[in-house]
Amino acid sequence: MRAFLTLLARNRLALWGGVVLAGVVLLALITPLLPLAEPDVTDTANRFKAPFSEGALLGTDHLGRDLLSRLLWGTRLSLAVGFAAAMIAATLGAAIGIIAGFYGGRVDNVIMRGVDMLMAFPYILLALAIVAALGPGLLNALIAVAAVNVPFFARNIRGVTVSIAHKEFVDAARLAGMSNARIILFEILPNVLPVIVIAMSTTIGWMILETAGLSFLGLGSQPPQADLGSMLGEARAALITNPHTSIVSGAMILVIVMCINLLGDGVRDALDPRLRSGALSRPVPATAVSREDVPAAKGEALLDVQVLQTQFHVKDRVYRAVGGVDLTVEPGQCLGIIGESGSGKSVTALSVMGLVASPPGVITGGAVRYKGDDLIGAPYEVLRSLRGDRVAYVFQDPLATLHPLYTVGDQLIEAVRVHHRVARAEARARAIELLTSVRIPNAQSRVDSYPHELSGGMRQRVGIAMALANDPEIIIADEPTTALDVTVQAQILSLLDDLRRDRGLAIIFITHDFGVVAQLCDRVAVMYAGRIVEEGPTEAILTSPAHPYTARLMACVPELGQGRRRLEAIAGLPPAVDRLPAGCAFAERCVKAREACRASEIALAGTGARAVRCIDPDVPLAAETVA
Amino acid sequence: MAGYILRRLLSAIPVLLGITVIVFVIMALIPGDPATAILGSFATPENVEKLNRDLGLDKPLVAQYFIWLGNMLQGDFGQSFALNRPVIDEVLERFGATLILAGTAFVLCSLFGVIAGVVSAARQYGFADKVITFVVLLGISIPSFFLGMMMILTFAVSLRWFPVSGMWPIYGARDLAALIDHLTMPALALAVVATGVIARLSRSAMLEVLRQDFIRTARAKGVPEGRVVWRHALRAAMVSIIPVLGIQAGFVLSGAVYIEIVFQWPGVGRMLVDAILKRDILLVQGGVVLVAACYVMFNIAVDVAQSLLDPRIKT
Repeated sequence: MRAFLTLLARNRLALWGGVVLAGVVLLALITPLLPLAEPDVTDTANRFKAPFSEGALLGTDHLGRDLLSRLLWGTRLSLAVGFAAAMIAATLGAAIGIIAGFYGGRVDNVIMRGVDMLMAFPYILLALAIVAALGPGLLNALIAVAAVNVPFFARNIRGVTVSIAHKEFVDAARLAGMSNARIILFEILPNVLPVIVIAMSTTIGWMILETAGLSFLGLGSQPPQADLGSMLGEARAALITNPHTSIVSGAMILVIVMCINLLGDGVRDALDPRLRSGALSRPVPATAVSREDVPAAKGEALLDVQVLQTQFHVKDRVYRAVGGVDLTVEPGQCLGIIGESGSGKSVTALSVMGLVASPPGVITGGAVRYKGDDLIGAPYEVLRSLRGDRVAYVFQDPLATLHPLYTVGDQLIEAVRVHHRVARAEARARAIELLTSVRIPNAQSRVDSYPHELSGGMRQRVGIAMALANDPEIIIADEPTTALDVTVQAQILSLLDDLRRDRGLAIIFITHDFGVVAQLCDRVAVMYAGRIVEEGPTEAILTSPAHPYTARLMACVPELGQGRRRLEAIAGLPPAVDRLPAGCAFAERCVKAREACRASEIALAGTGARAVRCIDPDVPLAAETVA
Repeated sequence: MAGYILRRLLSAIPVLLGITVIVFVIMALIPGDPATAILGSFATPENVEKLNRDLGLDKPLVAQYFIWLGNMLQGDFGQSFALNRPVIDEVLERFGATLILAGTAFVLCSLFGVIAGVVSAARQYGFADKVITFVVLLGISIPSFFLGMMMILTFAVSLRWFPVSGMWPIYGARDLAALIDHLTMPALALAVVATGVIARLSRSAMLEVLRQDFIRTARAKGVPEGRVVWRHALRAAMVSIIPVLGIQAGFVLSGAVYIEIVFQWPGVGRMLVDAILKRDILLVQGGVVLVAACYVMFNIAVDVAQSLLDPRIKT
């Protein structure tokens, strides 16, 4: 509760709404005690007195009644009616919803059919029909407004109840012999209450508007008693000659409803856990950059990643997902990046083209040089013209990464046409050619399929075809085979390998699978907790891993035809990247760890082809530098 | 597709029947005797009894319902006693005016609402987002009848840009220019609330979609950001925006009642309010059933539009 109130108070707008609303409610409460003129006493001699005139702060209405007094009494009535309608609708709706959701089956079916039926009406028709039946009057308007809103509550609450009714604690209560009534009151209701509060806080303003509306139409409060709506309705006749009588009551409705809406939004944000984490922000077109100095260029490699640092800033926490990574790729080369999930390998890959979701991602240091030019902090248009044209990505899980509502043909055509001015027909021919080149049978007809109509392997081929659309120089493949079964995986790998040989593509291949690395990659970099712990030629690392982590990671891979051997999981978990230790990040899980490992940062050391970040590598690297 | 439309139409039949039942039950709750209400409290008992017989009110409720339903299916909605003309004629004539008003407002609020929502999402926390959020808050908080009155004061009385009220000029041609002249203010006033709601939901739908993996794919392909937002993201967000449009159509239709009163628009909403105040029950019944039926049909059209937009929906 206190956490809720703090969250609510942190929301400035909600706070203001609450303060103003509290003021209005307070005024309405103490109205009978204030030294005001009688609201219903007419004095036609003094009709339509202007605001700020003697004895009438807001002037008088068409019957000479004091507007300030009528306004406060009207506010009192409107607030009471709106609140009562909300309470009735919430109570009835919640009761119906809980019963439907809790009992399920036929009860649920019958109730929800009825609710759907009521929701098939534009709400005012139902309200008008009810008022027509009961006759005009404030109480009847209240009943109509409450009744119209019952289905909304019933539907919302039912949804939540259904999800709760089958949870363990409810089953436990049942087994403990609690009666249904007790379960509903003591187990279900407390859990549904926040939803009821959210629904009420977002609809109460609406209900005040609706009752005011019915009164405005002359179907609500009857003279001489007036709520804000009927005041406005009566003032309408003199709208043109004496607008102040209309403005006073209309503005009051506006202020009340606006404050309630502000407060309601605040309540919803504070109670809704999904919004609470601030998760609902959209990523901008290119990752945010905030770095101090840029490392100097060192040669003209095709792609050179230099001490890259990427962090996620979530509230006060900083997650160092990539903590200074260096990589180099040359044409025709395949570089593997391997590591457990969360080791920073995907973030490294996405940082290259500024595709790390931002917020919360920020590139805080280093450089990514494409043929010598730094891409980090490059203008958006520069990045965009390289993306998909010179540097293309293949992602994991192509069901989520392809647009579900466009055909694969449209998506391929677009990939070509955003970089080259070609006619649509020509681009379509190119799309079919691309699909054929990734060995999709029936490319002619497949081009018009939607992603959900293809198998997982097919979709991944489409993903690769899309990456190839503009004959890129570099393909960055982020676990492209993880979601696929083994035979399809093998086909995709050999396809990539062929493309690399035929077209001289450079490939950065991200995986957690040493088998895949062995099959495809010339060089491999092993990542742990956002850093490279070992790098070198694939062959050398596979036969003699130098870092204890690499060795342990390899021991996790089962091999066919190697006989019985212990399949070892690595004990412990990788460190959380928002609390990295001072020394070696693997020390906690390493059998060889000693004092010096934890003392201070360990550099990536080595000469020539191999490098390792360990003060006591499993094999001495000096001997291998010749290779 | 034709089969899908047919199935949706068939599924509307129980809903339509349900609507007639609900309306009938509500009307049956009316205290007192309709015949007395029609003839006034000084009517002779013989006349009351005769009228009750003529109206079929001496039969049991269930029989009354089926007679009423049967008559409606044959296009006979009864006679409005206050206007002394068939209910169906009056309702259809008035409904045309309401459709022009509500239809225009619906197009306006869909267009402005979606555009505002998309801009707001694409510029989240930016200046445009803040301005739109504030205007939207104002829009959903202002009573449409008050807004209408303020518009009359400003744009009709002070600035004299538009006529104060009515659908047609009293003298002069009833052409399109005259209609647009009269329609602009009420349509805008009616559109404001729904625009706010649609903008809010479009914004959150867009924020949801912009976080999806396929948006990253589009960006990785080098698709320009404008196209990412307006084509890739909006197309996907429309799947959740369109049902909201269907619901908002009901709110526009509802709000039309107030706007018709404020702007003296000769629509079905004003007719209903007058009929209630005069206790012209058959006119209320007929009007409510016809408008609700149209709304059900409109929602079927929304479902069909949805299935055209989303190839994953089995038709």
